[in-house]
Amino acid sequence: MTWTRQLRAELRKLTTTKMPWAFLAVLVAISATTASAVIWGTDFDGSKTFISTAADQRSLMAFAANATVIAGLFGAIAVAREYGHGTVIPTFLSSPRRHRAVLAQLAAVAVGGALVGLVGAALTVVAVAAALPTTEFGFMVSVAGVARVVAAASFAGAAGAVLGAGIGAVVRNTGGAVTGTVLALIIAPPLIVQLISDASSWVPSPLATALSGVEPEAAGVESQVGAVAAIVGLAAWAIVPAVIGLVSVQRRDVV
Amino acid sequence: MTAVNTSRRDVGADDDQIGGRSLAIVVERLTKRYGGRTVVSELSFAARPGRVTGFLGPNGSGKSTTMKIMLDLASAESGRVTIGGRRYRELPDPAATVGALLESNAFHPGRNGRNHLRILADAGGADPGRVDEVLELVGLGDAADRRVGAYSLGMRQRLGFAGALLRDPPVLILDEPANGLDPKGIHEMRDLLRARAAQGHTVLVSSHLLGEVELLADDVVVVNQGRLVTSGPLGKLQEAATLVRASAPGHLRDLLEAEDAEVEDQGSALIVRGVPIEEIGQRAFDAGIALHELAPHAVSLEERVLRWTWDAERPQGDGAGEVPEP
Repeated sequence: MTWTRQLRAELRKLTTTKMPWAFLAVLVAISATTASAVIWGTDFDGSKTFISTAADQRSLMAFAANATVIAGLFGAIAVAREYGHGTVIPTFLSSPRRHRAVLAQLAAVAVGGALVGLVGAALTVVAVAAALPTTEFGFMVSVAGVARVVAAASFAGAAGAVLGAGIGAVVRNTGGAVTGTVLALIIAPPLIVQLISDASSWVPSPLATALSGVEPEAAGVESQVGAVAAIVGLAAWAIVPAVIGLVSVQRRDVV
Repeated sequence: MTAVNTSRRDVGADDDQIGGRSLAIVVERLTKRYGGRTVVSELSFAARPGRVTGFLGPNGSGKSTTMKIMLDLASAESGRVTIGGRRYRELPDPAATVGALLESNAFHPGRNGRNHLRILADAGGADPGRVDEVLELVGLGDAADRRVGAYSLGMRQRLGFAGALLRDPPVLILDEPANGLDPKGIHEMRDLLRARAAQGHTVLVSSHLLGEVELLADDVVVVNQGRLVTSGPLGKLQEAATLVRASAPGHLRDLLEAEDAEVEDQGSALIVRGVPIEEIGQRAFDAGIALHELAPHAVSLEERVLRWTWDAERPQGDGAGEVPEP
């Protein structure tokens, strides 16, 4: 059995249930909320300075941090439900050398997560562009800026999905995997920063924002890492749980 | 047949081929523990090509665990299982060699039957056209595009069975395949499994439906509390027994057991296997034992299995641990 066949099977698993549609609905809801914020939202002083510059608009459109979390949940559910529904049994029967099956799962959810990020960013850009004519400001972000926002969201989505998948492979329970992913991406990072202040630029949300090219001032932070460092940092957040998941399924009984 | 065998030759595994697609399943001294509890203990048996082997035992007797170990879904503390002389994970193309049905609910309820099989076909390298073939074969052609969550238990069993047949494998390992099937479905499955065995395939089927096994199996393996109770050809296990009532049953039992007879003491009577009825009468006459009754005694597989497993569950000192000979 070749690994590409296993990958095709994993991609088919992701596309033959209603889960992608549920996530698409979430992305549409988020972009609609963003459009509403542009149309009706104001700063504390009643002005619309939050969309008054290209940097502000890019910050509003930067979807990468959201993509990390949403795709994280996508990856966690996609893998953990395999154990919950017992469909991991035919998976491991087809690929008794389990690392191949798990690598195919990780690759498939990475593709799915990248799509979550890409679609989420694209919808957000479209929503902002569609809502701006209701204000006094035009669309100021350059094509290159939009491309970077979309690319960053795609990468962050892939990384988040792999992180969630790794947690799902370890926990094997959908509720637990979702909780673990929320802990890893939302609850743990501020606690880590409290403990190690130098880590503030290296937790997922600031890394995703930096990757989107949002300037520190617009992001509300004092400093941020460069794009390459952001890629490495996000990849590390994804790879560590993925490796733990990969190792944990090798000898574990399927019961 | 002796209850526990240890060598591959002893358990009858002399038909190991992969190229020729004639593959025996050989279980050797298998032991599995969960926590401190032993669920499979020193279990040895073989399922041979060209035969349907019924794998019998009460709930919790270790059947499903043994099947999972066969398929490398669970690991054993000691012992091993080979299929055609190799562990499952070492087979050149496992999915093409072994078809398995282990869980009646191993499906995503929101996925339709056709897509479930397409995924298996993708992963296992089956021809995509085979999906529709096996759906028709198991009678799910009309329900192929319905969500599995809307399937009855019997339909899910059929879908699981279709998955096992997808690569037309020479070995089938099926855990309770008749669960939820209607009589027609059971009849069709029986015919299909018999036909595959007739083609030289190896078929191992666990079941609670002992009457069904009686119609299906060539060989049976009976386990209880993780241990082998007995194994052997069904025909031999079903051999007509003789019911004997005698003036000195203990003495007669000793005499018959010296002749390698299997003797069950049922209190007021002895049930004897392995010695012709005429010889029982002659032995009793020669020993001066008066016979009050000497008659053929037919016993169903169900009755025998219940007796074996019940005997094995009796506390020590009351016959526990004595493994009956078939």
